[in-house]
This record gives sequence, structure tokens and C-alpha cells, in this order.
Amino acid sequence: MKHRITLAVLTGVLFLSHSAHARVKLVALPERARVVVSLNNPDATLVEEERLITLQKGVNKVDFSWRGVNIDATSIQVRPLTHPDNVVVLNTSYPPNENALIWEMSSSSAQEERVRISYLLSGLGRDIAYKAVAEPDEKTMTLRNYLRLRNDSGEDLTEAEIRIGYGANFKKTIAHEEVLEMLSERIDGLPIKKILTWDAATLPWDPEYEKKTVGIPLSYVIKNDKASKLGAHTLLPGKVRIFIKTKEQAEKEGEKAGEGVAFTGEDWATLTPADRELKLYIGQSRDVKVTQRKTKDDKTNIRRNSGNTIVLHDTDEIYKIEVENFKKTPVDLVIVEHIPGYWKMVEHSHAAQFKKKDAFTFEYNLTLPAESSGNRKTTVTFNINRINVQGNEPASY
Amino acid sequence: MKNDLTEGSQVGGWESEQMRKQRRVSRIHLPNCSPAHLLICMLAVLLFWVASPAHARINVVTLPGRDSVQLTIYNSVDLTLVKESRFLTFRKGLNRLEFSWANTLIDPTSVEFRALTHGDEVEVLDVSFPPRVANTLEWRINSEFAGEVQVEIRYFTSGINWSADYVAEANKIENLMHLAGHVRVNNHSGEDYENAQVRLVVGMVRLVEEIAALARAGRPGPLTQLPAPAAMPEASAKLALYQEVDRLQERAKDAPRQVIKEGLSEYFLYTVEGRDTIPNGWSKRMPSFKAQEVPIVSYYKHERERYGDKVIRHYRFKNDKESKLGTEPLPDGAVKAFRFETDDRLYAFVGRTSVKYIPLNEQVELELGNDLEVMVKPVLTNWIKTDIQFDNNGNVKGWTTREAWEFELQNSKDIDVVLDIRRNFSGDWSISTQAQHENVDANKVKFVAPLKAREKQKFSYQLTIRHGTNATR
Amino acid sequence: MPALLCLWLLFTIAPADARIHVVALPDRDSVQLTIYNSVDLTLVRETRTLTFRKGLNRLEFSWANTLIDPTSVEFRALTHADDVDVLDASFPPRVANTLEWRIHSEFAGEVQVEIRYFTSGISWAADYVAEASNAENRMNLAGHVRVSNRSGEDYENAQVRLVVGVVRLVEEIVRLANERKSKSDDADEMQRFNRGVKRQAGVALGKELADGEKRERLERREIIKEGLSEYFMYTVEGRDTIPTGWSRRMPSFTAAEVPIGGYYKYERERYGDKVIRYYRFKNDKESRLGVEPLPDGDVKAFRFFTDDKLYAFVGRTAVKYIPVNEQVDLELGNDLEVLVKPTLMNWVKTDVQFDNRGNVKGWTTLETWEVEVQNSKDIDVTLDIRRNFNGDWSMVTAAKYENVDATKVKFVLPLKPREKQKFTYELTTRHGTNATK
Repeated sequence: MKHRITLAVLTGVLFLSHSAHARVKLVALPERARVVVSLNNPDATLVEEERLITLQKGVNKVDFSWRGVNIDATSIQVRPLTHPDNVVVLNTSYPPNENALIWEMSSSSAQEERVRISYLLSGLGRDIAYKAVAEPDEKTMTLRNYLRLRNDSGEDLTEAEIRIGYGANFKKTIAHEEVLEMLSERIDGLPIKKILTWDAATLPWDPEYEKKTVGIPLSYVIKNDKASKLGAHTLLPGKVRIFIKTKEQAEKEGEKAGEGVAFTGEDWATLTPADRELKLYIGQSRDVKVTQRKTKDDKTNIRRNSGNTIVLHDTDEIYKIEVENFKKTPVDLVIVEHIPGYWKMVEHSHAAQFKKKDAFTFEYNLTLPAESSGNRKTTVTFNINRINVQGNEPASY
Repeated sequence: MKNDLTEGSQVGGWESEQMRKQRRVSRIHLPNCSPAHLLICMLAVLLFWVASPAHARINVVTLPGRDSVQLTIYNSVDLTLVKESRFLTFRKGLNRLEFSWANTLIDPTSVEFRALTHGDEVEVLDVSFPPRVANTLEWRINSEFAGEVQVEIRYFTSGINWSADYVAEANKIENLMHLAGHVRVNNHSGEDYENAQVRLVVGMVRLVEEIAALARAGRPGPLTQLPAPAAMPEASAKLALYQEVDRLQERAKDAPRQVIKEGLSEYFLYTVEGRDTIPNGWSKRMPSFKAQEVPIVSYYKHERERYGDKVIRHYRFKNDKESKLGTEPLPDGAVKAFRFETDDRLYAFVGRTSVKYIPLNEQVELELGNDLEVMVKPVLTNWIKTDIQFDNNGNVKGWTTREAWEFELQNSKDIDVVLDIRRNFSGDWSISTQAQHENVDANKVKFVAPLKAREKQKFSYQLTIRHGTNATR
Repeated sequence: MPALLCLWLLFTIAPADARIHVVALPDRDSVQLTIYNSVDLTLVRETRTLTFRKGLNRLEFSWANTLIDPTSVEFRALTHADDVDVLDASFPPRVANTLEWRIHSEFAGEVQVEIRYFTSGISWAADYVAEASNAENRMNLAGHVRVSNRSGEDYENAQVRLVVGVVRLVEEIVRLANERKSKSDDADEMQRFNRGVKRQAGVALGKELADGEKRERLERREIIKEGLSEYFMYTVEGRDTIPTGWSRRMPSFTAAEVPIGGYYKYERERYGDKVIRYYRFKNDKESRLGVEPLPDGDVKAFRFFTDDKLYAFVGRTAVKYIPVNEQVDLELGNDLEVLVKPTLMNWVKTDVQFDNRGNVKGWTTLETWEVEVQNSKDIDVTLDIRRNFNGDWSMVTAAKYENVDATKVKFVLPLKPREKQKFTYELTTRHGTNATK
């Protein structure tokens, strides 16, 4: 094997003086009895290996060396497992210019000891990938969570227990430079909330004036909680690819139509702890049209200084938002509005759907009826007064 | 069980007419025989038998050519979902299935395997991307069942896209038109697709990484980039293939084909009836729909801040049932507009334009360019400055202007038209006018005037603006 | 090639005539290393047994391939001290790394001598391994010291002592040296001056150590720690051999079941939007520690997460020198499972004042803040949320808080596993002429 970690137990008399440089490397190279790869920490991969070594009574020198493997030498530790009370690590020596170290271990008697050696290994990367298949009604989906391991550490990992802190613990063999992908979890019937979000700050107010039809961002929102069949652990970041079930068209008369899928978009899932929501922005809808206008934009209570410059004023503004849903099914739309500074809502048409998000942002959560276009469209109006406006009002915090 | 790689198309027991034809065809594609053609090939992996029952017994699987292929092609991003089904013979226990490809852009992170029959007995344990080899993966599959299993393999590829285009033919008086829609599939993927079921997705899906870039990496993760795929094979070889495949098509080439359209989340899915062969480098254009006698209105817009002094002509119509449309949304695409000049239906080319995506029941405005035969001339007939106010230093602090505007409209065409004139104002303004108008918003006013053929009209308004300290809002 | 330290003893027969004798010398009887880590200095004391003649003796001491400060070498007779007298020490011309003592001895025979000098290239560092329980409310803490020998010389069978802490003496001298630096142009002179400074400091240190020491041999191998003046010294029991180029790491102490608290800090001006996690513990007797101060060093923290005590790596950090009874906060990085989300829910500008020119001269803002906290972990946590304000501000809240200083307020909230909480506060800030302080 090109890449090797070797463990040698040196027994017998300690060599002092100059011949301490020439270490006696010995004999039986015990194979690993167990390897555990722990991926809980995204910044570092921890490997713990267990070996059976034969100790003599008194002081033993155990030589641990590695070659072509990216081990962090300062992280190497050894713990005796079988007789922790009478096998003691006295000290560790680090020879110059070598990927090796030597433990001096004392043992109360001649015995076989199972030791666990742990170290941080770099080059063993992990990615999480998600694949989801939504039902045609987009109310639930099946989510598959994959663990993909890339082994660039320099050594083959044979029959290693892979632990990521959730899901099944796998026992896998990954060769150096191999990538291995395995299914960690599968959740069926995960509830999804589908919403369209129209943000007045980012989307054009008058689609008529745009060269292309305005697409309104479409998102699936899922919650990492028990009610959603999740909630057992934090959802790690990774790419989510969403598919939806489609009905295949029967090719021949009388033949049953099969089932297939179509891809409907992807997004990067951010780290989502338990009981938090994950919003996946996966595409755009062009079957919902939002036109926003300001039908009143007046200054009131104008106050001027001695130079007749306006130093303070209030405003009286009316916004009108016309929403058309051309689809044959109803859809949820969130309209996000931004008003800077100190303002008050005088009146609005959809008070029940209103929600203030923060000092300068509020939303209307609408459910648009199917085919509500033309004179069946939804119109939202709101009248606000901005107060004590000087021109330097904060819009964010 | 034979494991002959060069033949690669026998399946124990089952062989249909179609399979035999395909086998003849696939022989041309095998990488060992023919130099250039790309192919996705399933290689049989020969692994040693292990005697002891504790170790998994590893299977040799001989693979036939694809049973069937389905392409789902997207136009808003460079992505095509390919689905192929095959029949494989599994052994009980551990089976290793290797999938590799060359000269075609497949995203390795997108490849998926599914057993269509015996689904409960076949389970994928993991997928390995072997060290130092690109464009290859190996599924480790545990099967409780020994025998033939129908499997489906899906993956993303790049290089195939589709577009929509329209031909509009207006009648002489331009109040009705015929509208024909087409879809065109372009294949630059490097792979020939024969006998494929074609589906098109109308919609804006989001892709966070390019498929072509993921495909060029050859395997998942930030590993070494591989060189771009080999150059496209020569046309001559392809032409021969196309002719051969053409003979195999079951339907007559001239028969019109149905495109079935269905809603899919926020998108639409068009399924082209039957099967198609689209060799690499070729395009295929198919009719999508045809509507006769769609009512149209010639609609002219004038707005100085938008078009300057020009009057821009539009064909306005609605995608609804009353207009003989209204069955599906219209995907965005290029439009060629014509008009029948004479009774024997000679064409005049009206213009080349494009149409946005039009949902069901929405209004369409096909912009057709500047039309000099319809004129809008705004004239400022009077300008007054009045009501001047002074501050304590004797400087002017406020004043009011009053503008009188007169609009001359003239339709020099033989057809009825509708004019849409918009004016934008700012500050503390107000207008007074007899003409019918609409306050679009706090700063915009719209006048709409229908004009018959050869008609002239006039309208006027007075605009008052309060400046400086005269302004109250 | 190992360094060679040779000591040549030169004899003279007649006092007038220096007859030079070359005597083969035995190896060192014993070596003691006192390694000092905040300055690159190690005091080496070796004892040897030499045979003197009556009268003038010339003792040559030379070295090669090792970093000895020649001006620091000193000689002392341990036995027959009254009979042995150093007349002078000279550095022979055109020969490097050599000095020669001329010693007058009334006694003829074996004398045990001590030679002391400063070398550099040997350093030591402390490091710690913390193993937290699954619930992260307790940990085992193991301390180690690691000695690295890059001096060029092998040290065999040496007694090793480590000096912990910053020695004020040296600091002062170094400070003076730096002051002078700014005035002098002469680079060479400065170098010499700095070396001299170090030597003086070393000598003074050595004297102090020599004066203050009384060591006892113990049966179990241990590191004995004690305070001396401004600093601590660790004596590693027994003897060690550390060849040049090698390092050796030895356990310094272990403490089991040290109680720890999971302490999470949020402060936007300091950490941005992140919540930084700490293991908090105290170096006192109640916590199974409190025996000695803990020198600064790297820490690796693990957590047991299975019954067979498999590790999960929590993180790496460093700890400063910790005196006895002091609280320690081990910083372990960003924890994404504890969320602190402050939202400005309302903003009001009011009480606008104008000057006699009609311009705005003062106004007051009222902010209503809502802070959402969520613990998505399976263990109890304590959150420490700090907010910084400036200007003429005042805060009203129902939540419990502490005024850290004139511009900082602290909210401390304990949260159970999976618990969510919210608290609000109103901040009034008077601007311009409205401000009264």
C-alpha cells in the first residue's frame, strides 16, 4: 500500500544517549480492529481507530507513524480501553522531520491492551445533497438526504463506521480518491407550504413596461419540526433538487399511463436547526401578475425654515396593488412592502392579512382565488402617513 | 450468461421486433467499433466470485441497449432530464452496476437508479465514484430477487434546448388573425437521441450550478477538472444514421402530431405525442397549436418618456376562449407577423417581433414598431406664470405655472385604430379637461381615443403646477 | 551530528610556568535544564567531577553546533570551594566557541564543579485536552507540557524545569532596551546591547532560581509546581533524554468531572450575528482544580457522544494564563444551533425642536426591539446577550438585565433544550439639543 499508518510496539530496555535516535521499530503491526470516522464537526474530521497491542510489564515504547496521509500531528491521542487504570501513558516523543511519534506506556503486567488512537484527518470531505419529489398537489413531498464522502486523505478507509450525528451509522469502505454517496434518511409525506413572494423593493411595479413577463419567486417552505416528520436534528447545508410527479401520457390506446417526474428547481439549503423553517427558492411563476401604483403621494404639514427650504413634513400616500391569478388553481402570495422611517397605517383594505415584520417592513398574506383576473382580480390598497420626515429616515437596521 | 461487451445487446429470453431493430442500430454506436459517436454505454463489470457465503456474491450483468428514452427539455436553463429504462438480470445478493459515459455532458451528481419491477426487493446500498476515473459511477445494489428487473436510470444532461415561435397572419382590415405556434427542439448535446419521447417544460426553474460545469468535473465535488468533451463527430456519419433511423419510425413523417399540455406546479408540461429521433447537431420543429380568426385590435401608444415622439403600433388580443385561444398559456418566443394584402391571400410582411409569456386570459400586446401613418402631435398653446410670492429678503419664494395643451390626432390608415396617450407630471400639479381620461397613478394620466379609418380628432387640457412655497403637497 | 561539548582541563606544574595538561573528561554527571518560554532562554547547569593539581589549572571549555551565550558561562566549585579560586576567564584569540578559566587550587584531587550557561533553542508549551460529557455539564481536563529541543545539543538524563509566567525582571530590562532602540542608530551596537540585556536578565534569573530552590525526589513521576517570586516553576520529576530536533510531551495534571457550563454570547459589535459558544469553568477547588495556575496553551475539546466514549470533536482554542480561583471561558466557535434574532419592531421620531432659523435642532427616537432566542440543542444553555448604546439613551424593559457600563446592557437568559423565548425593550435616544447628557 502506498499510504500507511503504522503502529509498532517496542518492548524492552530503553535506549539512552545517541542511539536514542535509532529507534527500534518492531515487529507485529497490529491491524485496525475498528475505525470510526466522525463527521459531526464541519471543520474537522475525527478518526478514531482501535488496535490490540501486546504490552510487557513495565515501560513500553509504542511507535506510531504515517506516510502520505494528512494527519494533524498535534491532535493525536491514545487512550487505553481494556485496563485504563493500570496502563498509563507516561510521555510522548516527537522525532524531528518525521511523521511519527513514540508513546512511552507503562503497564502493570504483561497483557494485551485495546487502545483507541484518535486524530484529526484532513482531506476527508463531506457534502450533503437533498433530493425531493413533491406530490402533484404540492402539499407534501418525499425528501431524501444523501451523504457524499470524498476521500482525499491519502489512505483507504476500510470498513469504517461513518457517523454524522444523525440517521443511520454506516459501515463503509472508501478508497483514497474515491467518492461515495449513501442515503442517510428518507422522509415521506413531509408537509410543504408553497408560496409566491412579491417584494416591492426587488420586482418591477408595472409589468406592462417590462420586455419580459415578470416572474414572481416561487418557494417551498418546510419546517424542521416533529409535525413535519423532522425535528430530530439540525438540517445541514446542501443543495436541494426538487422534482414533481408527472403523469406519463399513455402511448398506446388502452395502455396504462405510468408515473414519472419532472425537475422543478433547486436551491442551496442553509443550516436549519430544529424548530426553524427552511425556505427554498426554486423557480418563478409567470401566471400571477402584480401591478403596484401610488395613487396619492402628497406632502402635508409642511414646515419651512427662514430660507423657505422644507425642513420637516408629513406625507399622505395611497398605494394600490392589483393582483391577477391566471391559473386554474388558487395560490398563496405574500406581498412585501418597505416603508422607511416613522409611519402610521391610516387604513387598508386587507387588515386581516396584514402582518408587520419589523419597523420598516410589512406583508400581506393573500390567498388568490383560481382564475381571478380581469374584473375578478384582487385589489389591495393601503393609506399610510409618514411623519416627521426630514429626508434621512432609516430604511433598515 | 454471456458477458460480451462488443455485442452488448442480448437479453436472456426477451427480444421484440423493436429490440432487434435497435440492436442493429446500436451496433453502429458501440465505442469499440465506431470512432466518433458518443454513447452512453452500460459496461458489464466482471468481478470475481467469492466462495464463502459470508461475502457478497457479485454479479455479472450483461446489458442490452436502452429500452426507451424520455427527454424532458427546459428552455429557461440549459438542462434536460433524461430517463431511460432497461431490463437487467440480477442475482440474489450484492450486484455491482457500473454506469459510464463519454463525450456527453452528464451531471454526475444527478444520476439516479430505480427499480420499476420488484421495487421492494431491490435496494441501492451506495453509489461509488471510483478513484481517478471520471464519468463513471458504480451502484452497489442488494437484490432479494434473482432474475430480470426493469430498471429506470435518470440523469441531467446539457446541450438540448427548445424554443417557441409564432406566425401571425392578419386579414386585410387587421381585425382578425390566424395564429400558429411551433416548438423547436435543438440538440447540441453530443449525443444522438433516437426514438425518444419528448417533453418540454414551459417555466422558469432555478438552477444554482450549471449542468455543463458539473458535467465537465466528471465526478462530484471540487476535484480535478477534465478537458472539454471531444469534438463533434462528422456530419456524414450522422446523416447516414438519420436516414436509417428514419425508416424505422412507426409514424408517417407528414402526419400532424399532438402536443398534450398540462399544468405542472407553476409551469406547464408539453408532451409531444409519439417518439422522435433528434441526432446530435440537428433541430426539429413541430407545430404546437393553431388558432383561426383571433380578434385583434390595432393599438397605438404614445408616451414621451418611453418612446419619444414616436407612435408605436401593437396588435392587441386576448389569450381567452372568446378569442379562439384560451386553452393554454403562450410561451415566450419570436413572432413573424404578416398581413393578407389581396383577396388571393398574398402576404405583406408586417414585422418581426417577440411575445412575452402570456398566461391564460391575459391580454397580449405584440409590439410592431413605429407607424408613421398614425400621428399624435402635442402642442403647447399657452404658458402663464402667475401668483408670485416673495420672502422677507424680497426674493421669489413661490410661483404657479398654467399650461394649455392641445393634441392633434390623425389616423391616415384604412383601418380603425385605438390610440393610448400617456402624460407624466410631477410636483404639485392638477389638470382640467373635457376629454375622457384615467388617473393611472399619482403622476400619470392616460387618454384613450378610438379613431376610425381616415379620422382626425383633437383634445386639450390645462395643467396647473404650484412651485416653491406655493406647493402644498 | 551531535554537538560536542568538550572540556579540556589544562594543568600547570609550576606556578610560574603554565604547563598545559590535556585531560580527558568524563561526561557530565548531571544536567539540569531550566526552560523559560516567554523568552528564548534556557539555563543549563551541569555538574562534573574534575581532578585538579595544586596551583594553577587551566580549564578549557568549548562547544560546537550549539547555541551557547559565551558571556553567560560561569564556573563554580561545589566541593573544596574554599580551596578553589577562579583567577580569570579568557576567550582565546582567533578561536570561536571556546573559553579558558585560569583556576588556582590549593587542593589536589577530585573536585565536583558546576558549570552554568545560557543556551537557546529549547522551548516548552502547555496544552490541554478537554473531554466533555454528552450533556456538556462536566469535563475531564488533562494538561500537558511539551518540551522542544532545537538547540543543536542532545540532552540526556536531564532534570527539566519549566518556568511559567512572565517574569517582571526581564520585562523591565527589555522595555529599557526598546526605549534606547528608538534613539540609537548603530545596529550592531543595538544587537550587542540587546544580547547583553538578555544575558543580564538571564543571569539575574538564574541567581534567583539558584537561591530559591530546594528539590526533593519523589517516588511517583510528577511535575511539582511552586511559586517563586513573580512566577511559577514546574519541575519534572526524574530525568529525561531529549535529543536535538526532538520534542517530548508529558502529562502535567488531570482533573476529572470538572463542572462546566455551556455559555453562549451574542454581541453584535463584537461577533456580528453569530452566537459564540464557551465552556465556562473555574480554576478552584470546588471544580476539582484550584491547585495551581494554568499556563497559557492550546486546548482541544471533545465530547463523549456514545456509551463507549467515542469522541466528537468540539473545537480548538487557546487559553490564557489562568490564576487560581479565576473563571475561564473556553471559546469554541460559532454555534448555529442557538439562535438570537433581534428585530426592530417599531421606530418613532418625535419631539422635533426648531431653532430660530426654523431648522431642526433636536429630536427624540423611540425604538422597540424584540429579541427572539431559540435553543435547538438537546442540552441546557445560558445566553449572554449584550447591547451597546450611545448618546443620551435610556431603556425600559420587563426583562431582567444588568448595566455593564454607561453604554452596555447585558441580558442573561437560561434556556432549556428546544426552548424558545422572546423579550422586548424600548430604547429612547435624545438627539441634538434634546440630549441632556
